[in-house]
Amino acid sequence: MNVLASLWRLLDERFELAPVVEFITHKEVPQHRHSWAYYLGGLTLFFFGIQVATGILLLLYYRPTAEAAFESVQFIVTRVPFGWLIRSIHSWSANLMILSAFAHMFSVYLLGAYAKPREATWWTGVALLGLALGFGFSGYLLPWNELSFFATRIGTDIVSKVPVIGAWLLKFLRGGEEVTGATLTRFFGFHVAVLPMITGALIGLHLAFIQRQGMHVPENLGKEAQQRKPLRFLPNFVMREGVVWLAGLAILAAVAAFFPWELGSKADLFASAPAGIKPEWYFLFMFETLKLLPAHVLGIEGELVGLAGFSLAGLVWFLVPVLDRGSVRGQRARFFLFLGWAALAYIVSFTVLSFAGAFK
Amino acid sequence: MTESGADSRLTRSGFLTWLLGTSLGATLLAAAYPVFRFVIPPEVAEAPVNRVLAAKLSELPVNTGKIFRFGAKPAILVRTPAGDVRAFSAQCTHLNCTVQYRPDFQHVWCACHNGHYDLQGKNIAGPPPRPLESYRVDIAGDEVFVSKGA
Amino acid sequence: MRPSFHLVLALVAAAVTAAAGPPPPAAVGVPGKRADDTCVACHRALDDPRLHAPAAAADTDVHFSQGISCAGCHGGDPRAQDAEKAMDPARGFVGRISATAIPELCGSCHANAAFMLRWAPNIPTDQLAQYRTSKHGQALAKGDTNVAVCTSCHRAHGVLPPTDARAPVYPTRIVDTCARCHADTTLMARYGIKGIEVAEYKRSVHFAALTKKNDLSAPTCKSCHGAHGATPPGISSVSNVCGTCHLAQRERFDLSPHKAAFATLSQPACESCHSNHAIVHPLDSWIGVGDGQVCGQCHSAGDAGAKAAIAVAHDLGTTTGAFTAAQTRVTRVSRAGMLMDDAQVKLEEAHQALVLAQVEIHTADVVRVQSQTKQIMAAATAAEKLAAAAEKELRYRRTGLFVSLVVIALAMIALIFKIRAMER
Repeated sequence: MNVLASLWRLLDERFELAPVVEFITHKEVPQHRHSWAYYLGGLTLFFFGIQVATGILLLLYYRPTAEAAFESVQFIVTRVPFGWLIRSIHSWSANLMILSAFAHMFSVYLLGAYAKPREATWWTGVALLGLALGFGFSGYLLPWNELSFFATRIGTDIVSKVPVIGAWLLKFLRGGEEVTGATLTRFFGFHVAVLPMITGALIGLHLAFIQRQGMHVPENLGKEAQQRKPLRFLPNFVMREGVVWLAGLAILAAVAAFFPWELGSKADLFASAPAGIKPEWYFLFMFETLKLLPAHVLGIEGELVGLAGFSLAGLVWFLVPVLDRGSVRGQRARFFLFLGWAALAYIVSFTVLSFAGAFK
Repeated sequence: MTESGADSRLTRSGFLTWLLGTSLGATLLAAAYPVFRFVIPPEVAEAPVNRVLAAKLSELPVNTGKIFRFGAKPAILVRTPAGDVRAFSAQCTHLNCTVQYRPDFQHVWCACHNGHYDLQGKNIAGPPPRPLESYRVDIAGDEVFVSKGA
Repeated sequence: MRPSFHLVLALVAAAVTAAAGPPPPAAVGVPGKRADDTCVACHRALDDPRLHAPAAAADTDVHFSQGISCAGCHGGDPRAQDAEKAMDPARGFVGRISATAIPELCGSCHANAAFMLRWAPNIPTDQLAQYRTSKHGQALAKGDTNVAVCTSCHRAHGVLPPTDARAPVYPTRIVDTCARCHADTTLMARYGIKGIEVAEYKRSVHFAALTKKNDLSAPTCKSCHGAHGATPPGISSVSNVCGTCHLAQRERFDLSPHKAAFATLSQPACESCHSNHAIVHPLDSWIGVGDGQVCGQCHSAGDAGAKAAIAVAHDLGTTTGAFTAAQTRVTRVSRAGMLMDDAQVKLEEAHQALVLAQVEIHTADVVRVQSQTKQIMAAATAAEKLAAAAEKELRYRRTGLFVSLVVIALAMIALIFKIRAMER
């Protein structure tokens, strides 16, 4: 204790920590029927932290060229002590992070937390989800195995359908016309430098906004929140958050143990695509929807219509704080609530059905 | 909240604190130990698929061959009657049997279907359709290194 | 064109004379100086394709590039501007050369070692002698002009060395050259030849090696039949011919009871099981006395040979099965992310033993086959052991992670209780 006290005095004399401590110890988290949702953002951050740590560890051995990538991952999982564990955790935590991000986003939407004054928090959040998907897509190629090569080829094919800039966008993403070693190097650059930098900045902003503005309480739960005693951030909320994080860690350990991540076989650029190739689960709903669309809709190519549809939906989703005018006054439009439930139902059902093989 | 240190282990709160501390510590250790082992590189620093130490020159007499491994694939190191050191893939281009050096023929031979390869790795008799793949040989002192991409 | 030219041509067409000895010195001009050669110059300007084509072919002709022009075979005067003088029989012109005259004509240079020494010392000079022993040569000597002569395979004009990829006798093209006659069933019927041999050969592994694996040393028609001395090998020589490449199998065949038996029965050795032209990849399932199995051609169920065949087949079957099972298991474990290098080495050993076992089949001796199949079993078992160890390690990891799960759960429970205790 004495050591801690002198350390405290050391820092306080230089950085005046009293206001910070004041803020942290007096910060409160409102309690109501849906305050369990407040843990989801932190859980996403936890998984992201694991990604950064395991990602840096993998960087010590990984080689981002077509000739060596698969072999370096093979080296990690077969020869480096606990390499199999670090790699399996990195692959699984990525999936859990994205799942958690979706859950966090939908709970925020359905609770109307995007309303004024939290528009910027919503916008940074949607951008962060996009970045998370970008992390997932770019990272998936890095082991350079059969599945990742073909999934990347099919996934990047879609961008060529964008009008006007489609061809340029394709070359920008792929580092050429086709998916090659150049694509791998480029995706590696995105995955370990570009995306982390942007994500770091946006997380910083996102957290700063939350700290400044506190937690949102849904309008219909305001009375309940006032009646129930709010939780102190430190130590009560933080300890509970610790429980949630430990639960996340447990789930991670469980899936890493019972469903270890495969190494697969090295990508062969000239082989034909294996049957039943599909993207990772978080892209499945889009993938299946695009497959369902007819070849042409009113003379326009079906895939382009699908792409436009998703872009439009994404734009509406992004702009919901502005579009839902009632939310400014604390009266959310029922329409947007319905839209949120519909979007959730669509994504969940299509993902589950795809796994069940309903789209064969 | 807690009693004096000597009795704290006996109280429920004390026990809880101990349990919490120990289990969190164990979790932390379970996470830190693999990380610590991971960052120290293994004995074999690189996967032996592109460059291997094939033999010691002093242990390779003239007019002999030695089979060594490139990862999982067999390769053959040949010390010619003239004293040169050459390396080739040891997988016969006919049906992938492992070839050997025959000091009596003074060239490489495959036991399966009697394929013959000269000291350049070229197929000179029998069923093999193509020469043996050639590897690059670097000699550093007494150590003979073989790498792919002659 | 001038009418007299056509008259001369008509006269010349009837002339048949074999040119003996080397061509007249005047006809062997300076290489490249084709402009001086009036034969080529005139004939190039003609419309009739039969007269135009030989002159056009001069550009690629190997004889022309060495300075041996039209007159070298056809006689006449290549420096005469006038067609009559150029194609004057008095100056040695012989016009169209008959089939029966061609071998001797070509041989007038190519069988003359002293002459060939001056132009192409590394070309053999025994082609004419060999040709005379061949089925083609013997038929021609009896007056049959339907058989192949030198120009049938090498062309008359635009002759290319056999090492030139455009030559009709280049390894990848020679089969189709032989096929021009030998695939004509009507023509072959006259000689008691079925005419399906080329089609059968094209199904063979030898043809596949030539065309798909780009192995130019793969056997073509001439490899077994001879090129100039083209004759089918006699029944007793079949194993000699196959054995020039397949020495290991031939040596083992010589150790087997089949060698003596086949000789007595006048059975062609290798051909009896492997066929002569449609030589496809042999399968272990061929061994036995059942339907479609080769041993059943001579052996019946219950005799010593049948028993041996069934024993060999059974042995190969079980060990190959073990090898395949080991391969599948190792691949699965390798895909899961375990290091399987040592297991791969064992699988290579098993593969090699299998190849050697399949060679030992030719001894028709179960014991010798078993000496190899034992090694297949040993190597496959070793590979399975290594795969099993890797699977065990995978299960061990799962257990370890399960233990960590328990630790985390404990921490969670302790934390929850701590929170409860704190907030009471």
